Amino acid sequence: MSNSLATVKLEQVTKRFGEFSAVSDLSLAVYPGRIYGLLGPNGAGKTTTIRMIVNITAPDAGRIELFGKQITAELQDRIGYLPEERGLYKKMKIGEQIKFFATLKSVNRNGLDQRIDSWLERVKLKEWKNKKATELSKGMQQKAQFITAVLHDPDLLILDEPFSGLDPINVELLKEIILELKAAGKTIIFSTHQMEVAEKICDDICLLDRSRKIFEGSLRDVKRSFGRNSLALRLVGGESVLSDRSLISSLNRHADEIEALLTPGADVQVLLRELIKAGARIEKFEMIEPSLHDIFITKVTENQ
Amino acid sequence: MRKFLAVVKREYVQRVRSRMFVALTILGPLLLILFAVVPGLLFSLKAGGATRLAIIDQTPEAKLYERLKSALSEDESAQHPDFAASVNANTRERIERAGDSLSGSFVTERVDLNGRSLDDVGKELNRRIAADELDGYVVLPADILQNPESMPAYYGRNVGDVITRSQIQERLNLAVNRQRLVLAGVDEQRLNSLSQPVELETYPVNEKGESGERDSGAGFVMVFIVGFSIYLTILLYGQVILGAVVEEKETRIAEILFSSINSFPLMMGKIIGVSLVALTQLAIWGGTFVIATKFLLGASGMQDVNVPHLPPLFAVYFLLFFLLGYFLYASLYALIGSMVTTTQEGGQLAMPVVLLLVFGFYLAFPVIRSPSSPLAFWVSMVPFFAPITMIIRIVSQTPPLWEIVLSLFIGLVTVLGVLFLTARIYRVGMLMYGKRATIPEVLRWIRHS
Repeated sequence: MSNSLATVKLEQVTKRFGEFSAVSDLSLAVYPGRIYGLLGPNGAGKTTTIRMIVNITAPDAGRIELFGKQITAELQDRIGYLPEERGLYKKMKIGEQIKFFATLKSVNRNGLDQRIDSWLERVKLKEWKNKKATELSKGMQQKAQFITAVLHDPDLLILDEPFSGLDPINVELLKEIILELKAAGKTIIFSTHQMEVAEKICDDICLLDRSRKIFEGSLRDVKRSFGRNSLALRLVGGESVLSDRSLISSLNRHADEIEALLTPGADVQVLLRELIKAGARIEKFEMIEPSLHDIFITKVTENQ
Repeated sequence: MRKFLAVVKREYVQRVRSRMFVALTILGPLLLILFAVVPGLLFSLKAGGATRLAIIDQTPEAKLYERLKSALSEDESAQHPDFAASVNANTRERIERAGDSLSGSFVTERVDLNGRSLDDVGKELNRRIAADELDGYVVLPADILQNPESMPAYYGRNVGDVITRSQIQERLNLAVNRQRLVLAGVDEQRLNSLSQPVELETYPVNEKGESGERDSGAGFVMVFIVGFSIYLTILLYGQVILGAVVEEKETRIAEILFSSINSFPLMMGKIIGVSLVALTQLAIWGGTFVIATKFLLGASGMQDVNVPHLPPLFAVYFLLFFLLGYFLYASLYALIGSMVTTTQEGGQLAMPVVLLLVFGFYLAFPVIRSPSSPLAFWVSMVPFFAPITMIIRIVSQTPPLWEIVLSLFIGLVTVLGVLFLTARIYRVGMLMYGKRATIPEVLRWIRHS
């Protein structure tokens, strides 16, 4: 994979705001036809990184390449960008807004109206075309904004928290479209702090924490490298064993299940024996793949 | 270029179609009338009806009372033709008509001493004033018609009402003078014909030394309208720019825009788009004005009210100075808009800019009075004031060409400088969320970007 030409390539990029470093010495590569997850807690530097990729701000140091070239204003037309903080002109009709943003992306006038219509239909906003933005619900505005990011058929699509605030039906709708775009060979950068979402659609991930990259690679590799050291438990009692740090390093309690991460070096058989000895009634005891959430927490904690 | 034009087109089309534009196009001229007439009206307006005035006439046979009574009830305009002379004829008439019904009227009542002392009668009248049966009284000394040193007295509840006070004084003066003349043997008829008020006819002299036709005061109106429309348009459309920039920042549209177009063409597109809206509005106003005056003057047969002649290049000058002022203030507004986070904050920060503009508008008045004075020269060289003051000089007493060109040149350099600074701040400021930018931050952006 790393042999082919990267769509986006950052080399030792740094961006500072006064004394504060938003991005430090960041190198990464995003390959065509992949969904690349840019992950990290709030303030990790995700948005700043994206802004440099779309040429809104310039890095203080380092080099950014898009489609194998130094970024220029012309290359901006090949990017679709859905920012985290999104907005539309309040008093402008939805159809006109989409057309305006398309013009800013140098979309050819021929057939533009038909394309707008078909996209509006696709996201079920057709009857809202001539309504002003203020008349639309938040979710609908978000879908309208999504159209502005994809209408010009960009080779690189950058989505910053695209699902936040959407209901499950619309999340599925957007996910479907994103996967179609991927199938059509588009490169997608997907920024989020919601690991469950990233886990389901990303091919590659990059973990950022406090301006630095702490991990980059394919989701498969990450999970494999972590091994099966997670447990799904459903039991009554045995609390003293669960709080034993020599066996279990962290617990994540769900409604009726507990997700436990084994302490490195601990034997899962010992844990089972101890639980029985402590008189716990065990209903479920299953080794599972670590969730991206667990990996993220572990990596970020290691980094501190 | 296509992107830039798209921004211009969006600004123009969205705004010209808006209700605000239509409302403003209609309301603008009304606002102008309001500005021209209301201050005068308000000042002469006295709520509460006629002034109730008692007069104690101590002159022999109380001859003065009747004369004062008639002087007080006479038509005001007959007595002071110079009242509001600086205002044009039409406005003056309107103010006076309103003034007559509201402030000019007096209800007089004669009070005789009938052997009582002046003190007693005074006390009695004071009590009636306190009981709100009377607004004031005038005491006329017995020797007022003979002794030039003799002084009448006015007692009133509201002596702070200077207009009423001076009206009484003026008319008392008239009454006493006439009565003195009658006592000196001038008969009543001669008196009336001799005391006809004098009117002043005004003729403008142009730069070639030719005197023009009689000026009806329309020259002043013209100057005022021109200055006011520049002032109003810049003020309103500056606010529009501020609102537009803050909206893009507040809704984070700026982020999407910056990912598609450079900040400079974006900013310029916005300013130019809005300027076209303003010019459209001015064109509608101007066109309506020209058609309306032609039509009205033609229909009413008021041939003597000649519209003052304008310099041949007036339209060009107007356009240039309007654009100069507009671009200067619009870029300041854009700068402020990119620094703040909400419209309210923007309004606060824009206060100094508004004050600058208002100050420029008030400078119009001394400039109208003496368009060739050193003051007029210097303020018309300051780019922040030039759009109003220079255009007023051009309309009233066209200055030498070099002054106009110099003023435009200084303005152009300033506009370019401000645009340069604004562009640097705009690029960074538009992406700063959460808090208002501080001055040190802004200075750093200017240095580093």
